Amino acid sequence: MRTPILVLAGLSAILLSTPALAEGRLHIFNWGEYTSPELIAKFEAAHDVRVTVDEYDSNETMLARVRGGNSGYDIVVPGDYAVQVMIAQGLLEETRPDQMPNFRHVEERFIDVSWDPGRRYTAPWTHGLTGFAVNTDAYKGPADSIALLFDPPEALRGRIAMLDDMVSIIHAAERYVGVPRCTADRAELKQVRDALMKARPFWRTYSVDSINKLVSGEADVAQTWSGSAVVVRQQLPGVKFVFTREVMEGFSDNVAVLKGAPNPENARLFQNFVMDPENAALTSEFAGYANAIKGSGAFLSDALKTAPELDLPQDVAMEFVPPCPAEVMEVYSAIWTELRR
Amino acid sequence: MQRHLPRAFGLVAGASLLFLYAPILVLGVFSFNSGRLFHRWEGGSLHWYAKALANEGFRGAAVNSLAVALGATLLATFLATGAVIGLHRAGARQQGIALALIGLPLVVPEVVMAVATLIFFSLLRGATGLDFGLGNLILAHAAFCLPFAMMPIRAALRGVEPAILTVAADLYASEGAIVRHILLPLLAPGIGSGAALAFITSFDDFAMSQLLAGPGQTTLPVFIWAQLRRPLTPEVNAMSAIMLAVSAAFICLALAMVARARFTNGPCDP
Repeated sequence: MRTPILVLAGLSAILLSTPALAEGRLHIFNWGEYTSPELIAKFEAAHDVRVTVDEYDSNETMLARVRGGNSGYDIVVPGDYAVQVMIAQGLLEETRPDQMPNFRHVEERFIDVSWDPGRRYTAPWTHGLTGFAVNTDAYKGPADSIALLFDPPEALRGRIAMLDDMVSIIHAAERYVGVPRCTADRAELKQVRDALMKARPFWRTYSVDSINKLVSGEADVAQTWSGSAVVVRQQLPGVKFVFTREVMEGFSDNVAVLKGAPNPENARLFQNFVMDPENAALTSEFAGYANAIKGSGAFLSDALKTAPELDLPQDVAMEFVPPCPAEVMEVYSAIWTELRR
Repeated sequence: MQRHLPRAFGLVAGASLLFLYAPILVLGVFSFNSGRLFHRWEGGSLHWYAKALANEGFRGAAVNSLAVALGATLLATFLATGAVIGLHRAGARQQGIALALIGLPLVVPEVVMAVATLIFFSLLRGATGLDFGLGNLILAHAAFCLPFAMMPIRAALRGVEPAILTVAADLYASEGAIVRHILLPLLAPGIGSGAALAFITSFDDFAMSQLLAGPGQTTLPVFIWAQLRRPLTPEVNAMSAIMLAVSAAFICLALAMVARARFTNGPCDP
């Protein structure tokens, strides 16, 4: 009967040794495998701050955690549309990154962004493309259109792994049939729905780790993010991220400070810190995504500098899609439910 | 007939075991892969174990998981034992109500519990500034581990011969003495397996931890899940294998404790 007492003693030792609230802390909540340990070590050393990093797998998970308030986190890294939602719901602190010293390094096209015009709330973190990658060892045919997902050649039918992402899949269908994003027109929505239902038998899986299906050989085409394709290509040179004739879907993640953050001053320091070219390069190097900081290219490794996934060809267009209106989202949900049944 | 039944049974049992454990076996084997791809065998190596153990995020999550599971197990087992002994004398109606309330987490979807608990702690923090740190997670885990801990203890109580308790009372043993010297030793195997069940339930929990864990409180399942967004390397296999080994070790420990208790109690067991 002595064991429980020993265990209890050990346990309280663990609990007590987890540091008490000292000054100089920063709690970051970021996407999984997205925060460079080097960047964190550098920030800790520069500002004498102890940083904790926790990770999430989707904007929705993060929103669920912080929406109630008092989450204990200072920094979150929401995607473009999530920033817009969070500002509208009053979840973010207006920290004015546009007045911070390092703001002069931000590329012009990333300043007046639709989700945070003039950057009054957020500092840019990274951006990339949501597209698809092909294993060219298995499929030799042409790949330059989103039609490869919706009307695949015989060899690729049932060999396609999709993301578990309603919005990006439906936007892809809108590009395929050639109607505007977030269209509310019933006839156009019907076209979108029909294209999806026609593609349905060709799609093998829907999951956040679609790229792993490409690695394991379960699929030859995977809807994925450009940065994932960078990482996989370095081990499987046959993997190619496809630039499509149709406009491509961009995403941009942003460093934001939560309202009621326990360490607002350190959080502001961090926002300024990530806009420094050398620090932005650390993030890009680790995550495999481009950043919006001028001059960071000089600090990148050759492998990343020459990565074709990061170098958008001149003739390829990219767009950031703002959140669709609620009534359109309702139709999306209905289509999605039918697709996934 | 009697000779054939066990053979068919063995076949089905073997197939079931294979079905259950083959994926885990594959996971374990590939954790020793030396290549960077988690499905392509390129030779044996302990490289990914070294990498996993050197990963600060993984180590932190492992410590959190163990601390939360141990805390929740102790709390849940203590409360469950008390509840079983206490309810033993209650009327059928009271027992029914109490058991339904305690067993609620078994019926309510875990996500609902998690969201409710998240809102509860968030309001508590907002209103009073109270924050138990990792204790929040321990309390929440203890709440849903409680019914799991309770089941084997109740089963053990059903196996206790009532006459033994009557005899003890006739011989002027006090209430406390009966509990301490007779009931607790007889319930020990049940308490042991209850604790093991509670530990595993907490250690494996994802939904609750994902919503509730505060800064620096990420547990192993949540940590591993967040890794999936990136292309996997055998590091995730190694992490999962370590997690499995820890779970298995704790179950063996609990089983050993139960076996010992059974042995010492042997003559008393009805």
